[in-house]
Order: sequence, then structure tokens, then C-alpha cells
Amino acid sequence: MSRFFQYLFDGLSSGAIYSLLALCLVVVYRGTGYLNFAQGEMSMFCTFLVWKLNDWGMPLWLAAISGMLIGYLGGATVETTLIRPVAKRSQFAVFVVAIGLFLGLNSLAGAIWGAPPQETMPSLFPNEPDDFQRIFGASWRYQSIGILIVGLVVTGLLFALFNKTRFGLAMRAVASNADSARLVGVNTGRVLAASWGLAAAIGALAGTMVAGTTGEVVPGLMFSYFVYASAAATLGGFDSLGGAVIAGLTIGVVENMAAGYAPKWIGQEMRLGVALLIILGVLLIKPTGLFGEQKVSRV
Amino acid sequence: MSEILRTHDLRAGYGLIEVLHGVNINVDAGEIVVVLGANGAGKTTMMRAISGMIPRTGVVDFLADDIAHLSAHKVTARGIAHVPQGRGTFPELTVEENLRIGAHSRRDSFAADIDYWYGVFPRLQERRLQRAGSLSGGEQQMLAIARALMSRPKLLLCDEPSLGLAPLVTRELFEVLQRLNSETGLSVLLVEQNANLALEIASRVYLLETGEIVSSGTPDEYMNNDAVRKSYLGH
Ligand SMILES: Nc1ncnc2c1ncn2[C@@H]1O[C@H](COP(=O)(O)OP(=O)(O)O)[C@@H](O)[C@H]1O
Ligand SMILES: [Mg+2]
Repeated sequence: MSRFFQYLFDGLSSGAIYSLLALCLVVVYRGTGYLNFAQGEMSMFCTFLVWKLNDWGMPLWLAAISGMLIGYLGGATVETTLIRPVAKRSQFAVFVVAIGLFLGLNSLAGAIWGAPPQETMPSLFPNEPDDFQRIFGASWRYQSIGILIVGLVVTGLLFALFNKTRFGLAMRAVASNADSARLVGVNTGRVLAASWGLAAAIGALAGTMVAGTTGEVVPGLMFSYFVYASAAATLGGFDSLGGAVIAGLTIGVVENMAAGYAPKWIGQEMRLGVALLIILGVLLIKPTGLFGEQKVSRV
Repeated sequence: MSEILRTHDLRAGYGLIEVLHGVNINVDAGEIVVVLGANGAGKTTMMRAISGMIPRTGVVDFLADDIAHLSAHKVTARGIAHVPQGRGTFPELTVEENLRIGAHSRRDSFAADIDYWYGVFPRLQERRLQRAGSLSGGEQQMLAIARALMSRPKLLLCDEPSLGLAPLVTRELFEVLQRLNSETGLSVLLVEQNANLALEIASRVYLLETGEIVSSGTPDEYMNNDAVRKSYLGH
């Protein structure tokens, strides 16, 4: 039984990161209708900045907040200067730009910080070997608890932003009908830039927590997380915030259970494959994803 | 009477194709001006050019300021509300959220306005927490108009509100427009293909053909004009 709780808890903790990144993808997707392939690399690049600020002597939490602010500005700038001009032409052009951004950020990070030895990253939370609590026979590391709490808080704030504020309503209006949003006076450009900024800022936080867990920052830091997050966003229905969160947590738990309970034929290396197989199965049965909002048809 | 809107040599189109070839119209304060035109004449393009949804050249004077260079959200903030063809509600938002976003350009409190519109359209109040996409065509058109008026505009642009509505529903809708016009002095620019009911509430009429205004006059003149009756009144 304690094994079960251990896998459950570890799964929720990594699922919280998948959820956060999936939320970033959904926030961008709802406004613009495309998947930001560069989301993971944007997070990774911001994480390097956080590490550098910390390396220069800034307290880590302050560096993380600064990294989020820089991420916000960077994301908004990317949307206005790179994405929006080509979005007028075609979806495919956006895809190409996002891939370019992916490769560009990746090699830039590699060029600036890539040479070994890898940079070591401290954690935002207490992360010594004895920083854990034993609950239900499982060890709950403070590090993992911290990630879960941050995930929940950010999710809650995002929900409040979308559902309780004027700006959130404008964001949902742009997602629903961009032309009509302009007609009621919404500056759609500003909303799209803010969506990208928000996604980049949350991505910076997620990256910082990932690096704190693995203990180092590398250019490939977010790659597998991005794959899981895309899977979570797809599974959640791509336009549903709640769906992304639940799908992210579910994938985390399923992946940990699968790797833990069937180590002989799955093991650590195959966990990505297992998660993706499950998603494929769900999507075959329900193509809109588990929580995909059935588009309400206009009369 | 004081003038609210005047366009001069208004031109617009899509890509390299010009659809509006220099339109001159004007709307005075308190008027309901109806622009009649066949399918494809350029009515929707004209409305979009006025509200800044598409690039345009020429002059669009609104309350004596040229707004032809402003983008749509700024035109709205100046006091023009545009109900687009096909209603343009936000299907995924609730009825009440649609009304709230209608007030996006305002900074003052608008709770009383929502109550006011529920009074005008009680059916919207009954459905206030439903998604707009689940409303009937008539209800959506009411919502579209109420949402547009949440911004307290000085001029309402209405693009073929009768499209897809039963004649009785259209009549009900036009009665509301007329009542708002006489009670609050709201100026309206209404384009229609189906002219029967529109002419009943019009103060003045223009005829738009292939992107140009070809004539203007009083509603009576148009109702008694044989050619117009054939093309736009269907009898
Ligand atoms: N988005 C568009 N792209 C290209 N051409 C368009 C577009 N919308 C309308 N048109 C063309 O512009 C002309 C006028 O259309 P429109 O303004 O919609 O007319 P109306 O509203 O009077 O029916 C038509 O010939 C139509 O084919
Ligand atoms: Mg039209």
C-alpha cells in the first residue's frame, strides 16, 4: 500500500508540472488556435536566465519572479514581432516560425551555457536528503509538495483571471469570436500578446521547478515535459483549462504507476511510451479529448 | 439637425479587389437611415469599413472627427456599435457574459444597463446563464443588439438583422429599434436586403448597387417606386 501512495504522490508531483505546461499551451491555443511548439524551449531559456541571476547572487525566489517577468515580456514580444505578422499569411507559417524559435532558443542556450560541466540549479524548496515527511508509508519530499502547491496556486490564479476579471473575459471573448471581440472594443492584439506573455511566465516557473528537481539546467531540460504537456493538452481537449490540469495530473500518476508496478517490461525508459499509448487510446474513442468543449454551433 | 456620421469617397475591398467605389452617406442625430442593396452589393463591406474592421480610404467623419484611420476597438470606444451580419455573439460565453463584454469599452459601472436590457428582452434574463450558442436565432439577434448597446453608443450599425428570422420576430425586433430611437434618440444605420419592414421604420433611405450609392430619398418614395418594389420588396 505504501508503494501505491508513493507512486500516486510522485505522479501528482510530476503531473503538476505537466499541468502547468499544458495550461501554457491551452492559454496560447485558445487565443490563436495553434500549438506553440516553442513552449518548452521558452521555459528552458527563461530557466537559464533564472539560474544566471541566481548565480550572480540574487535569491532564487527573486530570480524566479524576475525570470517570469522577463518571460512575460519575451513571450509578448515574440507574439507581436514574430508570430502575428506571419499569422496573417497562414497557419503553416506560424508552425514554421515556432519550430524556428524552438531550434533558435535551443542552440542559443547551448552556445551560451551548453559547455560541460552542466550548471547546477538549486531548488526553490528544501531539498536535502532528509527533507521529507512520511505519510501513509510513503516519503513526501518537501520539494514535491512545494511543486504541487505551486501548481495548485497558479492554476487557481489562472482560473480567477479567466473567470473573474475584465481582462479574462476579454481573453475568452477573443477565443470565442475574435472579430466580435474587436467590435465590442477589445484590443485583440494586446490580448494575444498577453496570452503569450502569460504562457511564457508560467513556463519559466515550471522550468525553474524542473531544474530544481533534476539539479541542473541543460538545453534539453524541458523536452520530455513538453511532450507530456502536449499530450495532456490534447487529452484535456486543448481549449479547456480544467481539462489540461486534470489530464496533466492523470498522466503523471498513470506514468508513475505504470513504471512502478510493471518494471520488468516497462521500466523507466518506456514510461513515455506507455503514457502516449493511453492517450492514443482515449483519443481514438473520444477525438475531442476528455474535456473538449463541444463547439456550440451558431444557429 | 446635427450630423453624426458622414462618409466621403469611402472605398474598401478585399485584397486588390475594390468593392466600395466611393460611398457618400450621412446620418443625422436621431435618424434611422436604411441602406437597401441586393446580395453582394457591398452593404456588409460598407459597415465593416465604417467600423474599422477592414482597411479603407476616404473620410469617415463621426461627430466631426475623421475616424477612417482608427482600428475597430478604437472606433467602438468613440461611440459606434456594430452588430455584424450573422449576429456575431460569443457562442461559448453565457448570455450575461455577452452583455458584460459588450461594456468592455466603458470604464463606469454597467450593472444597471444589464438590468435595463433584461427588462427590454425578458427572454434574455430567463436564459442569462445559458451559453449564447444555445439561443434561437431571434434571441441571438436580441442579444447581439443588447450587447452592442451595452457600450452606450451614439450610433448603432445593424447589418441585416432580419436574416434568418421569421417575419414576426423581425417585426418585434424593428419595433424595439424604433422604440429605442424615439425614446433615447439613438441614431441607427441599418442595411437590409429585405426592405418591407425596414422601410416602415426608416427616416431616410439610400440605394446601394455594386458598391455605389445610386439614389436616396424618403421611405415613401421607395415604397411607391416600381423598380424598387420589384427588387427589394418582392411585390
Ligand atoms: N472576405 C471577403 N473576401 C473577398 N471578397 C469578399 C469578402 N466579403 C465579401 N466579398 C465580396 O465583396 C462583395 C460585396 O460583399 P458584401 O459586402 O458582403 O455584400 P452584401 O453585404 O451587400 O451582400 C461581393 O462581391 C463579395 O463576393
Ligand atoms: Mg451582407
